[in-house]
Amino acid sequence: MTTVLGRVVATERRPNTPHEFHFWTALDSPVGIGTIVRVEGATPVNGALPVAYGVVTEGFGYTDLDTPLHDVLGHDGQPGSAHQSPTRRTEIRLYTAAVLRHVPEEPLQPVGMGTVHLADDADVAAALRMDGYAFGENKTAIPVGLYRAGATSSPVHLDADFLLGPEAAHLNISGVSGLATKTSAVEWLLASIFAHFPEKKGRVAAVCFNVKGPDLCFLDQPATRLDDSDRALYETLGVPAEPFQNVHYYAPYTARGYALNTLRSNEALAHNVHPLTWGLREVLQFAEVLLNKDDIDAKADALIDFIKERVVDQPFSDSVLEHDHTVQSFGELEGWFRDLLHGMEAKNQESWRTHHVATIRKVRNRLTNISTRCRGLVTDDGSVSDLPFGEFEDRAVYVVDVANLEEDAQDLIFARIVSQLRERLESRTLGVDHVVVFVDELNKYAPSDGPDTYVRAMLLDIAERGRYLGLVLFAAQQFRSQVHRRVVGNCGTALFGRMDPDELATPGYATLSPATRTKLSTLEKGQLMVRHPHFTQPVFVRFPRPAVLSGREGVEKFPQALEQTLEGAVTRALRVLDPSVTLDWVKESIALAEEDEVIRARNKTQMAKPEDVKSYFRSQLKRRVAPKSAESRPRLAPLKSSPPDDPYSF
Amino acid sequence: MIANAADGTSAVGVTAVGVTAVGVADVLRALRAAPGAPAGGWRLETTGAPSLERMALEMEPPRLEAALPIEGDALSQRVLDAVPLVGFHAFLDGIQSTRVLQYLPGGVPLIFGTVAAVVRERHNRELHTWNGAPELSTRVYLPTSLTPADHLRTFDAAGIPVHDTLDGADASDGQHPQLLLTLARTAVQRERERLETSLAERWCATRDQSVYVDGGISGAGLAARSPHAVGVVKSHRTLYASGDGVGVITRLRAGQRTTAFEIRSARRTAVASWYLRLRDGGDPMFALVRIEVARDTFTAERADEVSRWVLAERTPLSLPDQRWHTMAYGIADCERYLRAIAP
Repeated sequence: MTTVLGRVVATERRPNTPHEFHFWTALDSPVGIGTIVRVEGATPVNGALPVAYGVVTEGFGYTDLDTPLHDVLGHDGQPGSAHQSPTRRTEIRLYTAAVLRHVPEEPLQPVGMGTVHLADDADVAAALRMDGYAFGENKTAIPVGLYRAGATSSPVHLDADFLLGPEAAHLNISGVSGLATKTSAVEWLLASIFAHFPEKKGRVAAVCFNVKGPDLCFLDQPATRLDDSDRALYETLGVPAEPFQNVHYYAPYTARGYALNTLRSNEALAHNVHPLTWGLREVLQFAEVLLNKDDIDAKADALIDFIKERVVDQPFSDSVLEHDHTVQSFGELEGWFRDLLHGMEAKNQESWRTHHVATIRKVRNRLTNISTRCRGLVTDDGSVSDLPFGEFEDRAVYVVDVANLEEDAQDLIFARIVSQLRERLESRTLGVDHVVVFVDELNKYAPSDGPDTYVRAMLLDIAERGRYLGLVLFAAQQFRSQVHRRVVGNCGTALFGRMDPDELATPGYATLSPATRTKLSTLEKGQLMVRHPHFTQPVFVRFPRPAVLSGREGVEKFPQALEQTLEGAVTRALRVLDPSVTLDWVKESIALAEEDEVIRARNKTQMAKPEDVKSYFRSQLKRRVAPKSAESRPRLAPLKSSPPDDPYSF
Repeated sequence: MIANAADGTSAVGVTAVGVTAVGVADVLRALRAAPGAPAGGWRLETTGAPSLERMALEMEPPRLEAALPIEGDALSQRVLDAVPLVGFHAFLDGIQSTRVLQYLPGGVPLIFGTVAAVVRERHNRELHTWNGAPELSTRVYLPTSLTPADHLRTFDAAGIPVHDTLDGADASDGQHPQLLLTLARTAVQRERERLETSLAERWCATRDQSVYVDGGISGAGLAARSPHAVGVVKSHRTLYASGDGVGVITRLRAGQRTTAFEIRSARRTAVASWYLRLRDGGDPMFALVRIEVARDTFTAERADEVSRWVLAERTPLSLPDQRWHTMAYGIADCERYLRAIAP
C-alpha cells in the first residue's frame, strides 16, 4: 500500500471527466508535470472499487489572496518584509491529470473522488498498458527509457509489433539541434532494439544515413563519458552498455577519387569503411531523382527509356552509327551519343528513331552531366561497390555517409538504397526481415510544402506501406511541423526532446497542455517525451547516453586523414586488404600509369578483394615496357692511322 | 458522537472530523418519514433565504460601560515598542451556521444548527489542526413544547440530537415567531461558546504556550484564569470607557494601547483588558481591538508584550474578509478551515 499523495477534487466549475481529473497534494509532494498517479476510488461500481491511472498534465498553485494587491498592502509595499509574517499564507498545489486507463474499463465514468498515490512499477505497467506485451514468454517489449517520479523508477517499454511492424511502425523524433538528443536517442533505441527484439520475430538490421557532421561515424567505438548513472540505466533496462558490434560504413569517393568522402577517414578505422560507387546501370534506374520536371518532358522521357531498354548493357548497332556499341558506363554512353550525333549530322538528319536531334542533345547533356554532378559516387567505367544487399546481417548497422555530398548525390543514394531495400524485402532476399532506415533532417527530404520530389514520394511510400514489408523509418528533424503530415502521421511512435517554443506554438502541439509544452521546451538532455500507440497520453522518460563514441569526441580521438597523394591513397586502400603493401611498392607499380587508370585499378581491387592483392592490382594496369636508357655502343677500334708521310693517305 | 472532554458529560451531536456528523439531508430524510408529512416529504422552507446570523433580529444597542482602571487612575494612551514580537503558538476560533428547515403550524421554526471550533497550532510558520480534529456539533434547534410529539419521536428514532431553545420552559400558549428565532440563534451561539471554551480549557490544561482566542475569554471558564489564553475582541458594541476615556480610545494611533482596566461581571470571570490600535484609519473603530488576559497575570509589561504579539499578527492580511483590519490571519484560517469541514 503506497502512501496517500493527494486527494481527488472536483467542483462544478472544474469537474472531473472520464478523461481528466483534478487532485491536490501537500506542498512538498514529488508530483510534477508528467508524473503518473493512481487513483483509488471510494465508491464501488458494479461491486468493485474503481482504479484510475493518470499522468499529470497541468499544475496550479495559489493562495487565499483575492488579488495580488492584498499582499502588497500586507507588506506595505516592501517585498523584503514578507519573511516577517509569523504565518505563511495557505497555499495549494492543484494538479490536473489526463486519464491513462480506467480499471475496469467499463462503464466509462468520470473519475470519482478518491485518494491519489504515486504510481509504482506495476501501476506504470498497467497505466501504459504494458502489461499486455512486456511480460511473459511472448513479450515484445523494447525498453525506451526509465520513468522517474519520487522514489519510483520504472522501465517504459515500446511494443515491437507497433515499432517495427506489422501492427504499426515507424518512429519520428523532434527536438532542437545542438543537444545531440535526437541522434543519441536513435543510437540508444537501436541498441535497445538489437538487445530486445525477439528472435522469433526475425532478423533485424539498420541502415543509417549520416547526413551531417560525424554524428554516426563512430558507432563501433566505446563511449568515453558513460558515468555510473548511465551504466545503471543500461543495467535496469537490460541493454549492454557497449558500442555496436557489427557496423559497416559506406561512402563515395571525393571528387578527385583519391579517398573516401567521410569524416571516418582515420587509418585506424579503415577496416570497415567501404566505397560506395555506382555505374551507369545503377544510376539510370533513378535518373528521375536527378532530373527535374523541366528536364524530363515526355520526349526526353521516351529517349531515356529507349536508352535504358535498348542501349545499355547490350550490343547496339545502327546504320547511323559509325560502329557498334556496348554501353556499360557513362564514358561509353558519351561515346554512343557522340557517334550518334556525328552520324546524324553526316546524313543531315533532324531526327533519329522519332527522337529529335534537340531532344538527343538535351538528354545527352543531362545524363552525362550526372557523372560530373555526382563525381565520386558515379563511375565512368561502370564499376560498382554497393551495400551487401542479399547478405545483410542480423543486428548489423550499415552507415551510409552522405554528409559531404551534394544534395543531388544524397537524393540519388537515398532513393536507390531504399528502393533496393524495398525490393529485397518484398522478395525476402535482403538477408534480414526488418530494416530500420534512419534519416535525419527529415524536413529537408519530406517537407510539408514545396514541389513533389522523388525522395519525398519515396518517404511517403515507406511511411504508408513500409510496415507490411518490414521497412521501418526512423526519422528525425528539428521542426516536426515542417515535415509532410502523411509522413509524421504514419509514425506510430513519436519522441520529443527539448523543443523550440516557436515550434510548440504551432497547431500540431495544441493537444498538449501549456505545462507539458513548457516542460518540453525545457527538457534536459537525456529526457524524452514518448508517444506510442499503447499510451493514451504522452509520458516522459529518461534514457542513458549512447554507449558509442560521440561524433565530436570521435573526430578528436580519430583525426581525419590529411589530403592524400594518389600513391598514398592507393597504398592506404590496398593496405586494408594486404598489410604488406608499401608506399614504395605502390609508387613503383603506378609509375607509368595514368591517374584514372590507377584509380580504376584500385577500385577493382577493392571490390574483388583478391588473395594476391599486389598481383591483382598490377594486372589491372596496362602493360607497359619500362623505358631503358640506350646502351652506349661498343667503341670500334680506330683504324690505324697512316704514317704522316704516307703519300696514299687522305 | 463523542464525550465532551470539557465537562465529561455526553455531548450529543458533538463529533470529530472523520466521524459522520448529522447533516441537513439526514434531518430532511427523517422529516420525510415523519407522520403527517405531505406526499414527497417536507420541502426546505427557506431555500435561498439568509441564515439566522444574517437575519435582522433584535440586537443590543451600542453602549458605554465604565470599567475599573488597573493601570493608572484613568484611561490613557501608551506607546508600544515599534518592533512586533511573535508570541502566539496557536489560534482558537469557532463558527456557527443555522438554517430554518421548516415552519411548523403556528410559525414555530425548526432550525438546523452547525457549530464547530478548532485550535490551529503554528509550526514553522504553517498552521495545523491541534490534536488532528476540530470539535463539531450539529443539532436541530426547536422549542420542544411547541413541537408536535411525532416530530420529536421521529428525530429520536433517527438519532438526530435536538436542543430545546426554551430550555424546558412551557410555551404552549404560543410565542412570537421572531422571538423563537432569536432564542434559537442564542442557543446556537451558546453551543459555539461551549465548544470554544472546551477547547481553550484543554489547551491551557495541557500546553504552556499562548493561544490567540478570537473574542473575549471572560466566559471561557478555566482559560480565563490561565496565563496562556489571550482573548482578542474585534467588535465594540460595548465600549469600556466613559467621559474622556472614549476620546482616549478613538484617538489611539497604530501601535498604541490604552492603559488596562478590569472587566468584571456576575456571570463571568474577571479579566484585565485594554484597547490596541493595529492600523491607522479614519474610522474610530478601524483596526481597534480589545485584549483580554487573566486578571491575576496582568502587569503593565505583560500588557506591552501581549500587545506586541497581537501587532505581529497584522501580517499576512486576512483579506478578503471584511474584518481584515482587526482579524488575525490565524483566526481567518480557523474560520476557513471550519467552513471547509462543517457539513
